[in-house]
Amino acid sequence: MRLAKALLLRLIFGALSLLFISLVTFVADELAPGDAATVEAGEKATAAQVARIRENLGLNRPWPERYVKYVGAAAQGDFGRSYYGIKEPVRDVLVRTIPMTLKLSAMAILLASFVGILLGTLAAVYQNRFADRSVLTFSTLGVTLPNFVLGPILVYLFANPRVFDYLPLTWSQERVAPDFYYFVLPVAILAARPTALLTRLTRASMIDTMQQEFIRTAVAKGVPRRRLIFTHALRNAILPVITAIGTSFGFLLTGSFVVERFFTLPGLGSATIEAIQQGNMPVIQACVLVTGAMFILLNLVVDLFLPILDPRIRESQV
Amino acid sequence: MKRLRRDPLLMFGVVFLVFLVLFAVFGPTVRDLQLRPEGRNNFNSVLDKVGLPFLPAGGSAMLGTDEIGRDIVSRLAAGARISLMVGFIVQAISLLVGITVGVLGVFAPNWIRTPLLRFTDGMFAFPDILLAILIIGVLGSSEVKFPGSSVLPVIVALSITGWPSITRLVVTQVATLKDREYVVAARAAGASTFYLVTRHILPQLSGILLAVSMIQIAGTILAESTLSFLGIGVQAPDPTWGSMINNARFEMNSHPLLLLWPCVILSLTIFSLNFVGDGLRAALDPKGR
Repeated sequence: MRLAKALLLRLIFGALSLLFISLVTFVADELAPGDAATVEAGEKATAAQVARIRENLGLNRPWPERYVKYVGAAAQGDFGRSYYGIKEPVRDVLVRTIPMTLKLSAMAILLASFVGILLGTLAAVYQNRFADRSVLTFSTLGVTLPNFVLGPILVYLFANPRVFDYLPLTWSQERVAPDFYYFVLPVAILAARPTALLTRLTRASMIDTMQQEFIRTAVAKGVPRRRLIFTHALRNAILPVITAIGTSFGFLLTGSFVVERFFTLPGLGSATIEAIQQGNMPVIQACVLVTGAMFILLNLVVDLFLPILDPRIRESQV
Repeated sequence: MKRLRRDPLLMFGVVFLVFLVLFAVFGPTVRDLQLRPEGRNNFNSVLDKVGLPFLPAGGSAMLGTDEIGRDIVSRLAAGARISLMVGFIVQAISLLVGITVGVLGVFAPNWIRTPLLRFTDGMFAFPDILLAILIIGVLGSSEVKFPGSSVLPVIVALSITGWPSITRLVVTQVATLKDREYVVAARAAGASTFYLVTRHILPQLSGILLAVSMIQIAGTILAESTLSFLGIGVQAPDPTWGSMINNARFEMNSHPLLLLWPCVILSLTIFSLNFVGDGLRAALDPKGR
């Protein structure tokens, strides 16, 4: 029963976080100058015309009422219309850009989890030896090196006619190579920081686990080394790493702003930056709301999955 | 102190940061004097041309000139000025707000305490940069023009995202410290809560807050550079490392050094601040002794 209660609390906390994000984006829109009415009326409109449009759109209602309406509309995928250009519905912008960002983030998180857990395990098994030291050095670099510094370095090396001209640089309508090649550099850059973080965490967690008594028992019992490391130790050490995969998704979403701009990939990050440069508030609002919501939901899923993976968490809450 | 000197990474960090501060404070002025053309007193080596575009390193422009002939050393120094200023101001505001909210979060009556703490928790629902981007979006489209330059919106945005982690740290630390015997004894002797906090509790936290501040300043400088790289942070003509990297990447294949300098100085700054923060934290940790 306590488990159900804990899960319920976590769900409620997730829902509250979503509400908080929606409130913050709503307030942001309130604070920003201009609204849908001023945009629709155009620059030459008189104050009376703007007021009339505002009344028609229901923008003169008190703010709690408009907030409820905003959340209700957003829940159904209606974020209003873009202020500029062809004034397309913001929903279309999101539908067009989200798949790119999700694809990038998913590939990066898969790469980061795989490489991070592998390198972390390696470093822990060969603790304080050469392999461990080099893994640690690289992960320190990966954690501190900004992705917009790493980006140019990799591009200079691998997409440069004078060094290695292997990879295409910028995404465009006419792509000369299969899409996969266009994703190699962005995903590598995006994955660098999460890989480094997960490596360090896996290493620390593995070293901790390897010192526990059930490992000594397993060694005494004569369990083969490979089985000992991967089945006995790693399975126990991996839980904090899984939580961290959830939080590093946040880095990925923000990192994708840089990477998408760098490689001109048409994703959520590019759309946000473009909207900020235009002062296109509905798009900014929707992009931030959706990115924040993805972050919250992913962490929620991870937290709900942990008790399934770890009987200790299940037991402690029963 | 002795232990601090034995940590080579920390010493490297301290030396580099001292150099960086001197470079930021005196760099642009010294370069102005060095490069000033005959008969011009109001010359600004950061913004004005000092020669042809893409001059190689060496000669009067030590690291050469950028794509429109401005002196790279001057621009790096001016970028250091902006980055350090943003880093320190944001950290000062974060500390002020974070400590105040943190202390209130422990000692204030429940009807203030609970909403404050819940609000702080809510701030963690956002990835930091995302909230900063939203705030910049609002401030940038606002008709109120900020005095000075485009640095102010960046400072505001990063301060708003910076304080919650300080609050979280202060709340956990203060909550344990307030039940220590010496604090309880002082209270029994009639000390007021304000006196307890300012004289007995906060001084205990100064070390860890200093260490954490170093690491947070690194994060702030990184965030400022990221925003400037994305073109929504500090705007031209003010040079920042982020915008220098962004401009230089278009000339990358022909003039890679242009990209190298801001990348190197930014990375070294981030490394140094982290080294110093980690070193201080390790030195303060009684377990490490």
